[in-house]
Amino acid sequence: MGNSLRGDDGVAQRALQLIAPGGHVRLRQVCQLTPELAAEIAIAGADTVFFLDADPSSTEMTLEPVELRSTRGTPLAHSMSPAEVLELTRRLYGFAGEAFLCRIPAKYFGHGEGLSPQAEAGAHAAAKMIQERIAASFTIS
Amino acid sequence: MAERIVIHPVTRVEGHAKISIYLDESGEVSSAQFHVTEFRGFEKLCEGRPFHEMPGLMSRICGICPVSHILASSKAGDMLLGVEIPRAAAKQRRLLNYAQVLQSHALSFFHLSAPDFLLGMDSPPEKRNLFGLLESDEEFARRGIRLRQFGQRIIELVGGRRIHPAWGTPGGVLRAVGTVERDEIRSWIPEALASMDIALGRMKPVLDALAPEIEHIGNFPTLFLGTVTPEGALEYYEGLIRIVDAERNIVAEGLDPHRYASYLGEASEEWSFMKFPFYKPLGYPGGSYRVGPLARLNVAQSAGTPRADRELREFKHRSQGAVCQSFFYHLARLIEMLHAIERIDELTDDPELLREHIRAKAGQNRNQGVGSCEAPRGVLFHDYQVDDNGLICKVNLLIATAQNNLAMNRAVEQTARHFVSARSLQEGMLNRVEAAIRCFDPCLSCSTHAVGQMPLVVELRDSAGELLDRAERG
Repeated sequence: MGNSLRGDDGVAQRALQLIAPGGHVRLRQVCQLTPELAAEIAIAGADTVFFLDADPSSTEMTLEPVELRSTRGTPLAHSMSPAEVLELTRRLYGFAGEAFLCRIPAKYFGHGEGLSPQAEAGAHAAAKMIQERIAASFTIS
Repeated sequence: MAERIVIHPVTRVEGHAKISIYLDESGEVSSAQFHVTEFRGFEKLCEGRPFHEMPGLMSRICGICPVSHILASSKAGDMLLGVEIPRAAAKQRRLLNYAQVLQSHALSFFHLSAPDFLLGMDSPPEKRNLFGLLESDEEFARRGIRLRQFGQRIIELVGGRRIHPAWGTPGGVLRAVGTVERDEIRSWIPEALASMDIALGRMKPVLDALAPEIEHIGNFPTLFLGTVTPEGALEYYEGLIRIVDAERNIVAEGLDPHRYASYLGEASEEWSFMKFPFYKPLGYPGGSYRVGPLARLNVAQSAGTPRADRELREFKHRSQGAVCQSFFYHLARLIEMLHAIERIDELTDDPELLREHIRAKAGQNRNQGVGSCEAPRGVLFHDYQVDDNGLICKVNLLIATAQNNLAMNRAVEQTARHFVSARSLQEGMLNRVEAAIRCFDPCLSCSTHAVGQMPLVVELRDSAGELLDRAERG
């Protein structure tokens, strides 16, 4: 998620370009998280969901589990968090899989396309890590 | 001592705003204002750009209704070229406009406003959202999500992506529709129609329980303005402007949208970034009018599709004259969603939609182009002046939300006067004031597009309401 016209905010979209689609992998680029994604996750029959986002407060890329838990939502209702999307998917469609939030360090959010060298490196690292996770899950099964 | 209550931010609207409620010496509401606190600048940003770029640039005004801006912008471009676009392109544009109305109204109704009237205005604020709705009626929430997804999926299938599609252009559109896309769209229609039956069936009984809100939240006479066919039916893409008064008398008919500036004026106030359009013959602020779903149903004699026509007849029986209660914007939104689905069904059943001649080619033939369409929130005008090289010299955007600005302010004040008392301030009172705004489903990102025009005043007040400092710009 993110806006590729705001510099490093497009880092997650860049990472998605580096992940091979097809087979068991479905990719979706969005500017923000909205309730319809719950239906998309359910229709895709996903058992694992990775959310990728730019994070100005991180200095290292991290992959953390998004826990399925009861959430009340936010009153502003402009957009949703990964936990809220997952909760909707669980409540409406019985999703019981795993989900992870990949935070990619990002610094420059000015107008215009293009990533800083650090964000570009982060996009490659994120894509590699997620592809390895996906490959490992299919190896195990 | 006079005091002020501030609701900031206003929740469950598209954009950022605040409401100030002013109390008199006895603690009763003396007045209220709806301030739009965000600021964009698109009219200025576009100067110097080639007019062919405008649909893409204008699409970026809004992530909720980009298709409306692409349409109005492309139509302004059609006028600059001086062409009639191919029929398949016109049908595509109509199709995406209905998809836009559907997805935007679904967001407003199911995600932003339904928690108020299905869970109750006084229900705990932490529950008045989509998750609270989910706890109350899971199937209703699921169908709301699917309806919005349907509208967005059409935009994605036809335009290439669901937000900011690179699709509309002066002279037509950039992509032909194939049978695969057409067939997928058609496969959604039975479920969508069934969802509308459920939503309308759920909404109508709720209205009876909301009599105080319907009576006192934005219930006042104004003019209503919308686009109709030459026969007076609902029209969203190409038609003539009709204006009716509160008694549903026709005030003006057959107005040419290209000549909007001859009958619509735009005023500014120092306390808001949003302009205040008005109907020129009645002056400012007397020429206050409303646009959007409620206005469209008030100005149209018929819908032109069977299911929506049945609902429209019932809707019109709610009043002898025009339906003036702003709360009925919500019901009007549902009727428009039903109509949009019926029109999507018709358009996707038309083989002409699939033709591959989708763009008329021509050079620039004019120096001014005006495009209009009915966006989800009301009629939208894009007005471009270009030089002989096709570069933009001046842009004026007259946005639907801004056209409701006078009415929104009046609705806020009326609601505050009736429901708010500082002696025993309850959260539910303030939620009703916010609900007055939500009736109009304002898209504040769209409506604050001017730059360097609007003066801004910032007032600093202490808890007793005393003015401590004041900064002025512009």
